Amino acid sequence: MKETRLGEFEEVLLLLVGILGEEAYAFKIAEEFEGQTKRAVSIGAVHSTLNRLLEKGFLTSEMGSSSPERGGRRKRIYTITAHGSRILSDSRDFKVSLWNQYPGFANG
Amino acid sequence: MKNNNAIPPALAEKLLLWFLKEELAEEVLGDLDEKFYATVRHKSVMRARRNYWYQVFHYLRPFALKKYRSKHSNFTIMFKNNFKIAWRQIIRQKMYSVIKIGGFSLGIAACFLITLYILDELRYDQHYADKENIYRVIEETEYMGKDFKNVWFPAPLAQVLENDFAEIEKAGRYNNAELFGSGSKEVRRTDRKLNFYETRFTYMDQKLFDILQYQLLSGSPGKVLSNRTDLVISQRKAEKYFPDEDPIGKTLILNNDEEQVYTIRGVMENPEAIHFQYDFIMSLAGVEFWPGEQNFWGAQNYPTYIKVQPGTDIHALEDKLEAIEKNYLMPAWKQSGELNIEEKAKKTRMALQPVADIHLYSADIEDMLSHGDIRFVWLFGGIAAFILLIAGINFINLSTAKSANRAMEVGLRKTVGSTRRHLVSQFLIESTLFSFLSFSIGILLAYFLLPYFNLLSTKSLVMPWTEWWLWPVLLLSTLTVGILAGLYPSFYLSSFKPIHVLKGKLSRGSKTSTLRNALVIFQFTTSIALIIGTFVIYSQVNYILNKKVGFDKDQVVMLHGANTLEQSRSVFKEKLLQLSSVKSVSISDYLPIDGSMRNNNGFVKAGKEGEEEPVFGQIWRVDHDYIKTLGMKVIEGRDFSSEVLSDSSAMIINRKMARELGFENPIGEKVENFELTRTVIGVIEDFHFESMKGEIRPLCMVLGNSPKTMSLKVTNANMAETLESINLLWDEFSPNQPIRYSFLDEKFAAMYSDVKQMGQIFGTFAILAIIVACLGLFALSAFMVEQRSKEISIRLVLGASLRSVLSLLTLNFVKLIIISILIAAPLAWYAMQMWLQDFTYRTEIGPGIFILSGSLAIAIALVTISYQSIRAALANPVEQLRSE
Repeated sequence: MKETRLGEFEEVLLLLVGILGEEAYAFKIAEEFEGQTKRAVSIGAVHSTLNRLLEKGFLTSEMGSSSPERGGRRKRIYTITAHGSRILSDSRDFKVSLWNQYPGFANG
Repeated sequence: MKNNNAIPPALAEKLLLWFLKEELAEEVLGDLDEKFYATVRHKSVMRARRNYWYQVFHYLRPFALKKYRSKHSNFTIMFKNNFKIAWRQIIRQKMYSVIKIGGFSLGIAACFLITLYILDELRYDQHYADKENIYRVIEETEYMGKDFKNVWFPAPLAQVLENDFAEIEKAGRYNNAELFGSGSKEVRRTDRKLNFYETRFTYMDQKLFDILQYQLLSGSPGKVLSNRTDLVISQRKAEKYFPDEDPIGKTLILNNDEEQVYTIRGVMENPEAIHFQYDFIMSLAGVEFWPGEQNFWGAQNYPTYIKVQPGTDIHALEDKLEAIEKNYLMPAWKQSGELNIEEKAKKTRMALQPVADIHLYSADIEDMLSHGDIRFVWLFGGIAAFILLIAGINFINLSTAKSANRAMEVGLRKTVGSTRRHLVSQFLIESTLFSFLSFSIGILLAYFLLPYFNLLSTKSLVMPWTEWWLWPVLLLSTLTVGILAGLYPSFYLSSFKPIHVLKGKLSRGSKTSTLRNALVIFQFTTSIALIIGTFVIYSQVNYILNKKVGFDKDQVVMLHGANTLEQSRSVFKEKLLQLSSVKSVSISDYLPIDGSMRNNNGFVKAGKEGEEEPVFGQIWRVDHDYIKTLGMKVIEGRDFSSEVLSDSSAMIINRKMARELGFENPIGEKVENFELTRTVIGVIEDFHFESMKGEIRPLCMVLGNSPKTMSLKVTNANMAETLESINLLWDEFSPNQPIRYSFLDEKFAAMYSDVKQMGQIFGTFAILAIIVACLGLFALSAFMVEQRSKEISIRLVLGASLRSVLSLLTLNFVKLIIISILIAAPLAWYAMQMWLQDFTYRTEIGPGIFILSGSLAIAIALVTISYQSIRAALANPVEQLRSE
């Protein structure tokens, strides 16, 4: 099996894909990332990570609609696979369990 | 709100499409367009275009790149094949490869180190924010037909410059004369007892401190030198005296002077890459070295700097400075009794030197600073280039000499369809590979040699690993050197005609021997010239150190810091004399070595003031035992005597002064200077008290007090014991100050350490050059032997003697070396004659040096060649002949 762990950046992108739904394509994801994290990122970096997530099987993609702003070019829409959402919830559960074991934060 | 310009940059788009996978093009271009128009809406078009480029470059990621291999397969395969063949060549011909790469690496290491040296030299005084507006004032005079330049000006000049000339924004000065208390001092904190010896003291005013933009680490800017006893110290001294404390406001006692305690007002960054470097800067505010000194135009003790308004015409300003001469200097000259003032004024001129030029362009300016010299920068640069050239020649020679071995390959490649362009690029790739290996090894070598080079050049250079320019420059040089060195061989090799080669008609590598010989001659000419240069420099050093200098510099110990003994000094002297190993003791700071007291005064025959031109010379304040201790020779009259009371107004002059004053019978003549009139009681033989670069100048000695240094003439007996007993005595008298002593002969030799250093540098490079040249010669001779192995075998079989075979193999090379000697000798002679012009007292370049260098070169070359030749001559002829 290929590498299945999630990096921080990968996890955020995966979540953003889920949040954006129908609008989840590289440019929008990058914009959203910058908006939510206040960190600059290039579209190329996002695209490359999305590509990796595709290879890992956490995402699927298909070409979507076009718009005049894109010079009539279509965009590639990404969707989370079942495997991808399982990995995401695993990751959350793991962290929640860690938080619960953290004494200074036990009831938080 | 779109304008026509608001479209994505076409060039960036093109670039993207060039490297991007085709299947990604649609989505990526779409995304980037969207990003572009979004940016145009929120920001400017320019920002959007810039961002587009940024985004394009960020698509340079493995997942997005086209796979080239599939498209241009032939190209890549040939490219790889070229590398493979080049690598096999290196592996198969181990000796030749080692010589090519080894020689190159040596050359590159030398070049790299010299480049670091030159860069460091060029770094001086480049850091000022407005360096084009900062100048040092220079006085140019003509005296006895020679031009002199110096930097010493009267104390009030700076203020006048600032007041009288609108162009001058600020003028400042410093005073670094030992005579006034700059230089070295004993230092301690007010709350401590133990003195430390410190050098690098100077006086400076606040204005110069501001002009030279010293960086303050603490202290209030613009106000660190406002009072008489203000002091600024460097960071390293702050750490030494006040570790973990704030030094500001703390006090230091200098030379045990508890009356005048200095207060630290500022800590500056350690001075670095500035033409003068001091650790302790004392304030000039309110300082007067004698009453009225600050307004006196008759003494010149202050180097003066100005900062001009931006855009000032410097030449026009220089011309305007004539007014200073007329209004201030000429009246002062008149007052001091000089004659021909008009004429002197005509010959004297003030000039302005840009601050950035001071470090490298001050060879002809007397400023008592030690700085670099642009001539040496050029010289070293030239040597570096020559060594690299020698290494490059090895490469070319070996490549073309070994061409026969590659001829078959070239023929075959051409036959199966290779074009000449392919072959040229193949050989260029090969030489670039060599160059790459050589650079890697060379830089490594430089890294390991850097400590030794620092010793040699007395610099503290570091490898610039983290400088942004290093890697691009290295990469570029690798390519350039690789291509340059490979150019000729690649065209030569690729020119073979396949039909000739494959039929075996190619004359085996001897065709280009004329060029090869010329290149060998060039290599050896360079090496031999360097060897001759080294020998000349060393013979000058020898000449200086063994010349009769007019005093006896052996067995003299100098004790420094004796001024702190105060009243007990004479008792200490008596105690010293009681030691059996001490012959005599003299107290005087005027010694015939660098770094001791100097001055300059005008002298005239008594009563002739205003009639005759004064003679300028030194007044040395000495004691009764001085001449005896230093071993100077009294040639007329007598030494000072403690029994003759009138000796306190007597003087002893050197032969030069007697001649300059025009005395036939100097004894009993009266001489006056600014201070008073004295009677000559003795004449001493001229002795060297300054560098041998200049003539011995007039000097006189008078009895006086100058208490810093005690000179002890000791016996030849056990020096360690003598020093031990002196040390014990010193500790009794001065428990709070460690003893500090030095030897007169060592200090004398140190005066010429720059010459010696030059010799060492020359010697090192000469050795390097000859090693690289010999590497080439070794390989060439090996090749020659290889080519003629059958011939030699047949000769041996037919009864040739060992000697005849050896001479057959070596004579040709020896001829080349002799030609090189004939070319190198006159060139080196001329260059070194120029160098020796710097010295008034200089050695002769005799034929011995040329004979020595020549035979050395021939010997080295013979040893190099004979290894291969003897091996060939001793080999069993059958081994070579049976293969056919």
